[in-house]
Amino acid sequence: MQFPYGSAALALLVVAVGSWVAIVVQDLTGATDARRPDLIFATFSKEHAAAYQPAIDAFEKEHGVRVSLQVVDQRALQGRLQSAMQVGAEVPDMCELLDGTMGVFTSGPLESVGFVDLTDRLHDEGLYPKLVESRFGKWSSRGRIFALPHDVHPVMLAYRRDVVKNLGIDVDTLTTWDEFVRVGRQITKDYNGDGVIDHYMMDLPSDGGDALRLLLLQRGARLFDEQGRVAFDDEKAAEVVCWYVRQTVGKDRISFPAGWGQNLAKTMQDATCLFYLCPDWRTMQFAMDVPGLSGQLALMPLPAWEPGGRRTSTWGGTGLAFPKQSKNFDLAWKLAMKLYFDNADLGARFKDTNILPPVKDAWSQPEFDEPDPFFGGQQRGRAYIALADEVPDEPAHTYMTSGIVKLSEAFQNVSIRYQQRGDEGLEAYALAELKRCADQMRTRVARNVFLQPQVQPQTPPQVQPKVGADR
Amino acid sequence: MTTTTGNIAVGGVASGTPSAPPMKPYRGPRWTPYLFLSPYFLLTAVFFIYPLAYSAQLSLYYTNGPTHRSFVGLDNFRFVLTDRDFYTALFNTVIFAASSIFIQLPLSLGMAMMLNARHDRFKGLFRLAIFAPNLVGQVFVGILFMMLFTPRYGLFNQFLQTLVGWGLEERWLADPTLVMPAIVICSLWMYVGFNMIYFLAALQSVDASLVEAAKIDGAGPASIFWNVTRPAIMPVATFVVVTSTIGSFNLYELPNTLLQGAGPKNSGLFAVTYLYGFFNAQDLGTAAAVSWVQAAIILSVSMVQIFLSGTARREA
Repeated sequence: MQFPYGSAALALLVVAVGSWVAIVVQDLTGATDARRPDLIFATFSKEHAAAYQPAIDAFEKEHGVRVSLQVVDQRALQGRLQSAMQVGAEVPDMCELLDGTMGVFTSGPLESVGFVDLTDRLHDEGLYPKLVESRFGKWSSRGRIFALPHDVHPVMLAYRRDVVKNLGIDVDTLTTWDEFVRVGRQITKDYNGDGVIDHYMMDLPSDGGDALRLLLLQRGARLFDEQGRVAFDDEKAAEVVCWYVRQTVGKDRISFPAGWGQNLAKTMQDATCLFYLCPDWRTMQFAMDVPGLSGQLALMPLPAWEPGGRRTSTWGGTGLAFPKQSKNFDLAWKLAMKLYFDNADLGARFKDTNILPPVKDAWSQPEFDEPDPFFGGQQRGRAYIALADEVPDEPAHTYMTSGIVKLSEAFQNVSIRYQQRGDEGLEAYALAELKRCADQMRTRVARNVFLQPQVQPQTPPQVQPKVGADR
Repeated sequence: MTTTTGNIAVGGVASGTPSAPPMKPYRGPRWTPYLFLSPYFLLTAVFFIYPLAYSAQLSLYYTNGPTHRSFVGLDNFRFVLTDRDFYTALFNTVIFAASSIFIQLPLSLGMAMMLNARHDRFKGLFRLAIFAPNLVGQVFVGILFMMLFTPRYGLFNQFLQTLVGWGLEERWLADPTLVMPAIVICSLWMYVGFNMIYFLAALQSVDASLVEAAKIDGAGPASIFWNVTRPAIMPVATFVVVTSTIGSFNLYELPNTLLQGAGPKNSGLFAVTYLYGFFNAQDLGTAAAVSWVQAAIILSVSMVQIFLSGTARREA
C-alpha cells in the first residue's frame, strides 16, 4: 500500500508521531523529572557564570545536588521570564536580572509580583545591614525587596596617565566639575594643525544616555523617587542637563562620543579622549580591550558638583531573584548565600571580575588591597571601596525605560536650543522642558491602576476606571 | 458568440479538444465537503478570528499582563489619540514610508531597467550583488551600520569626509535631524535589491512585440517606457507600493538595533516601536488599541493606493 501524499509527507508524519509518543512516554515514566537538575540558575552574563562555576562545583559536592547554570541573553531572559510567570510555565529556580528590569516585573499589585519577597527574610537573618544599603533600591518596589544586590558599581574616572602628565594637568586639582571643564577648555584643541581636534577632555555620549543619568544621580537628581513619583523636573536636573549640553555641543565642547567596542579602544589608544567614566566593571573591559595601555591608565574619583560634594555615582547593576514558581527555594537560597555572602569566594571573584560586592565584611579580603599593574599599580579595589558608601540610590520603577526616553527628549530639546540661541535663558528653558516631559510621564504612570494607590499620585488620572474586574 | 466552460463548448462551434466525460454528481454525505474544509476554517478561527476578536476586547481594558485587567472603555484609544508620542511615531513612519515609495522604489525600478538590458555579460553577478544585502536580515544591517556611522572612525563618515569634505564627526545616530536619513540609507542598502527583483520580473514579462511595434512607429525610450512598459508593470508596481507601505508600518528591528531604542528625541520612534513599548510594560490593552488604530491607517492608505493605481491603469 502506498501513502497517498508521497514519501516526504509520510516521513514527516512518522517523525511527528514518533516525537509525540516519545514525549508522552517520558512524561508518564517520569524520565523528564529524573533528568531535571535540582536547581536551575539563569544569568545573562557569561563572565558571572564563569566566575560562579568553581563555587557551584563545590556546592554540588557539599550538598550532593546537581545545579544547572545557564547563560541566557538578557532580553531573552527577561522576555521568557515574563511569559513563563504569566502562564505558570516552568521557570529557573534563581535568576540574575540586569539593572532596570525589575520594574517590568513589579508593574502590577505587589502580591502578583512573580518573585519571592525577600524583605522580611533579609531582616530576620541579619543580612540587610551587611550590605551597602543604597543598592537595595534597584531591586525594590513600594518598600519591598525582590532581589539580592550583586554589586555596588561606584563610578570613577579612568584617564590616560601619560598624556595627562605630558599636557601638564594636575589631576589632584580636578575636584569639581567646574575646574574640570576649565582645564578641559584649555586642552581640547587641534595640536598638529590639521583641522581636527586631537585631544578632547572627556568621553561623553552626545545623546546623554547612561552618562547623563549617572551625573544626575551624582547631583542628587533622580528619575523617580522612593515613592515612585516622577522626579526629574527639578532645578538640580536642569542644571546637570545644561552642563552636559555645554560639554557635548558647540565650539566650546570638551567631549567626544567614544562609543563602545573597537571605536572606544581606538579612541583610548589615540588618546582622542583623556578621561572616561569608569564603574568597577568597566576596568575589566578596558584591560581586555586595550591591553596595550597597561600601566598608562589611572583612576580618580569623579569631580564633585560642589566643593566637598559627592565624588562618585553608579552605573548598572545585577540582582539575584527567586521566582515564586521555583520548586526548590530553600536550596536556591543556600546557593545564593554561598555565591553572594561567602567572603572568601567574594574576594576571589573580585580578582576575576573587578566587580565590587556589596557585602561590606568581604572588603577586608586581601584581594581588595592588591595593586593593579594595568592601572599603574593603584590599589583598584581600595579606590572603589573608598567611594562605596557615597554611591547614590536609584529606585527601580515600572516606567524607568519610558522615563529615560522622556529625559532624553527634554535633553535633546535643550541641546537644539543651545545650538540655536546659546546660553541665553537656557536653564529656565531646560526646567520647562523637563517639567513638560515629566508631566507626560505622570499621566502615563497615573493610568496604571494596578500601581495605585501604592504610588502617590501626582496628577490624578483623567479616567477613574473600576478596579475589581481582575480575573 | 461562443463561451466555454472548461473545455465544453456552449452555444456555438465546439472546441477542438475532445470533450471529457461529464462528472458524476456527488452522492456522498452532505457534510463531507465541510469536513475537508474544516481544517482551514479551524486554523483561521483559532489563529486569526479569535485573536482579532480578543484584541478588540482587550483594547477596552487596562491590563497588567494577561492576568490582571480593568475595564476602561475607550480610554486606551483616547490616550493613544491624544499622546504626542503616537503622532511622533506616526510622523516618522509616514516619512519612512514616503522615502520607501519615492526614493527606494524608483531606484529599484532604475536598477531593474539597467539589469534588464540584453547585452550585459555580468547581469547575473550584479543581480546577486544588489539583492544580497536582503539576505542578511535587519538586525545584522542595524549592527553593521551602527559601526559604519561612528563619528571619526566610522567608514561612512570617513567616506563622506573624503568625498565632500564633510561628515567626519557627524553623529548620525545621536543627532535627531540625522537619525531618519541614517535609517533611510540603511533601508535603501537593504531593500533596493529586493524590490528590484519584482520589477525585473515585471519588465521581463513586457510584450517584446509591443516594444518593437512602438519603435517602428518612431517612439523614443521615454515614450516607450511611459506608454508600453509602465502600463505593463503597473500591477507589480501597485503590489510593491502596497507591500512597501505595509512593511514601513511594520518597521521594528532595524531602528531598534541601530539606535538601541527610539533614538534621540524619539527621532527613531516608529509605529511598532511605540506599540511594543506598551507590550513590554505589560499594558496589553493600550498595545491592542494602538494596533487597531494602526491597522485602520494601513487599510485606509492601502485602499487609496489601490484605488489610485487602478485609476492610473484604466487611464493607461
